[in-house]
Amino acid sequence: MVVATCILAMSVVRQRLHDFMRMIQPDEKWDCTFFTRKEILRLHGRYHELAPHLVPMDYTNDPDCKLPLALIVNMPELKENPFRNRIVESFSEDGMGNLSFNEFVDMFSVLSEMAPRELKAIYAFKIYDFNVDNYLCKEDLEKTLNKLTKEELTPEEVELVCEKTIEEADLDGDNKLSYADFENMISRAPDFLSTFHIRI
Amino acid sequence: MASEPQGQGSGNCFPDEHQSLRFRRVSSRVSNQNYPQFNWNSTPADEDGGGDSGPRRDLKSIPLPMSLKRAVRQVQQMQVPVVSSVESWKRKKSKSLCKLKNATREFLYFFELWSKSLQKIGGNFGGGVQSYFLFLRFLVVLNFVSFSLIAGFVLIPSIIFRSAGSSPVNNTGPEACMEYDPNPQGLVVFYNYFLDLLSGTGFMEYSYLFYGYYNNTMVEDRNFSYNIPLAYLFTAVFYFAFCLICIIARMGTAARVAVATGGSAVGNYSMIVFTGWDYGCLGDRATKLKQKNIHYRLQVDLEEERIKKQAAALTLCQKILLYSLRVFMFFLALGLIIAAFYGISEATNFSQERSDEQGILGLIFEYLPSIVITTGNFVVPLLCDQIALIERYTPSTTIIVALLRAVFLRLVSLGVLLFTLWRQITCKGDTNNKACELCQYNHEVYQCWETRVGQEMYKLTLFDLLINIAVLVLVEFPRRMVVDNWSSKLAQWVGRQEFVVPSNVLGLVYGQTVVWTGALFCPLLPLINAIKFVILFYCKKITLFYNCRPALKTFRSTTSTFFFLVVLLFGWGLATVVMIYSLAEIRPSMGCGPFRFFPTMWSIVPTSFHSLSETTKEFLFFIGSQAFSIPLFALSCVVMCYFIALASVHGKSVALLRAQLKLEGRDKQFLVKQIEELSRQL
Repeated sequence: MVVATCILAMSVVRQRLHDFMRMIQPDEKWDCTFFTRKEILRLHGRYHELAPHLVPMDYTNDPDCKLPLALIVNMPELKENPFRNRIVESFSEDGMGNLSFNEFVDMFSVLSEMAPRELKAIYAFKIYDFNVDNYLCKEDLEKTLNKLTKEELTPEEVELVCEKTIEEADLDGDNKLSYADFENMISRAPDFLSTFHIRI
Repeated sequence: MASEPQGQGSGNCFPDEHQSLRFRRVSSRVSNQNYPQFNWNSTPADEDGGGDSGPRRDLKSIPLPMSLKRAVRQVQQMQVPVVSSVESWKRKKSKSLCKLKNATREFLYFFELWSKSLQKIGGNFGGGVQSYFLFLRFLVVLNFVSFSLIAGFVLIPSIIFRSAGSSPVNNTGPEACMEYDPNPQGLVVFYNYFLDLLSGTGFMEYSYLFYGYYNNTMVEDRNFSYNIPLAYLFTAVFYFAFCLICIIARMGTAARVAVATGGSAVGNYSMIVFTGWDYGCLGDRATKLKQKNIHYRLQVDLEEERIKKQAAALTLCQKILLYSLRVFMFFLALGLIIAAFYGISEATNFSQERSDEQGILGLIFEYLPSIVITTGNFVVPLLCDQIALIERYTPSTTIIVALLRAVFLRLVSLGVLLFTLWRQITCKGDTNNKACELCQYNHEVYQCWETRVGQEMYKLTLFDLLINIAVLVLVEFPRRMVVDNWSSKLAQWVGRQEFVVPSNVLGLVYGQTVVWTGALFCPLLPLINAIKFVILFYCKKITLFYNCRPALKTFRSTTSTFFFLVVLLFGWGLATVVMIYSLAEIRPSMGCGPFRFFPTMWSIVPTSFHSLSETTKEFLFFIGSQAFSIPLFALSCVVMCYFIALASVHGKSVALLRAQLKLEGRDKQFLVKQIEELSRQL
């Protein structure tokens, strides 16, 4: 029995070493994201199962294939997120939420735990900017708050919280938050890295 | 799919490859998307603030879509940097170092314990609960690694050299003090074995588990010598130092985040709005709960504002009444805690006096101190919570006060237990007492006092585990079954269990402090504790998923990690005080253990010191002398002053820059208004 356990342990170790050796081979795509090769292959599996007839298994020739917003926001990791539409729209090139596989990997790479704070802050700003005008104005904040609390706050409370938020974070006094204000506020938030993180 | 870079054609006109990249324009598609303008075409020669060396890191952090990043990468690969051979060698070395670091990180991820469980816990219950389990995992690993230290230097040599070796000191001393007979006489009833397992007496007492079994042998061969008592002492000291280093290393990362983000009071609302939602939340139930949680936090903040306004509007008379009420409640809480301490000391005295009882009653008497400590730790915080309702502090202050009280209660109750034991062992420090006169410790009751102390710590650890399992089986599961199946109003009001993080963490800190205190007297205790914490992990995970509903009031995860480690450090300090006192002041037992016949445990160090070579002795004398330590002290003062000055300068410049930003914003508005006026006039 001891011999059997040893053999089992050795085979497990050998398999792990094998995976590890395959992982450290350099390749092009792996340098552009924070994922390892193994994780990108796994992501491709997830992307494929969203639409098995549309997504080809062979990506060596870079096929031009985009999945629509409706399919992607049904993923279990995104399904319950109140900002799911904005997240997918921010990472799509056409702004309508249709993601190719590259953008799909990009999205999860930025939302992974290895992405640095600055990169996450840039995309968080884009997500909360509902009217895409490069500023977080009061309407953006109201929409964010309503999505956060599922409209359980009274209108006066919503008004009060939006006012206080702008008051706290606005540095240049123009009654809306530019990217610099947002980034300054995020740099003082200790929880940002751990909350702006999707595990996949 | 790869889009060709647009400005590539212009690159051919310039001889320098770097310049071709600089003049490349971002594609027009990108500018429509309102990406913040980012200078991603920084060459390795003139990096601006990106921080990391090498083009590969920069590429990952650039906020451009993947297709553009791949295009950039292709371009960067085609470009051949015109650098000297030294620089290219340096760059190659840094690239391979990066790759090696990444590869090691990936390799270590394979060995991470319980990472999937922790992810599941974090997704369903939030960061606060997850930080408890991360802390538990850290303690398991710490205990296991430190036990391997003890095993390597003390346990294994003791086993190997059990029969060999000689004593380094002559066996002198009064006959009465050297009596030690741990094995029971005559027939032993079979269930006594089980009782002995639980209390560490009988067949367990004279075993590798406790201090009394180790011999004061010194093995000397031709070119190999091993001094077991010295190894025992140094291992114990090094074990404490190692634990301290681990805790401080872990605090370092948490502290950096806490310091960088300044105070937590700034920007409460914006924090909640922008960082409140946990994107890793899974499941329908968890998200509904998260929304309720955010709603609750916003309401709490609004409520705190209201309370502050109210407090500011109090009349003088009401203020005096409130403060005197608070002082009275403080003394009441203090009185409750002192009553608990008195109870513990009485229970310990009683238990030590009745240590000869047999059977179940004897077992209860043995466990009496543990029972009283656990009851105190359960009842007193409940009462203090009621007191806190009368004090009417703001919600955040209430939490901090309750935690401080609980920490004080737990750690000092352990201290009271040890103090009571000390009084009995050394006859209250009075060497003229009849019982302590002969051997300088109470040899009639404690033939081997170190083993007895080790047994107390062993019992505390075991009792803690048994109580946790008993509460799980007898309280939490039935509570859930009652609440789920019985739909009366009472059951709904009681509701399902909530996983309260602070009290669970204090339980862990208490357990670890007991282990540290007992490690000198019971070398296998860290291993027992590691196994106990593993069992506890699975028990708590089961109760979390089956019995608990997620808490409405959450615990901040990042500052809380730092707080847990600070409390752990207090526990470590208590254990260190106990260890130093035992090493330096109390006379070791003459009947057992590796330090018999030494006046104190520490005195083996000077004895062995004289057997070192001359140069080593001189070197050690030099390090201990004033000629070395005073310049070292002065140098460390200078270095500390430098860092303090640097920190204050940075703080001032941050404040200055912030003010400048405000000013420039106002200037901009003023200028815009001027332009509007002028354009109206024209």
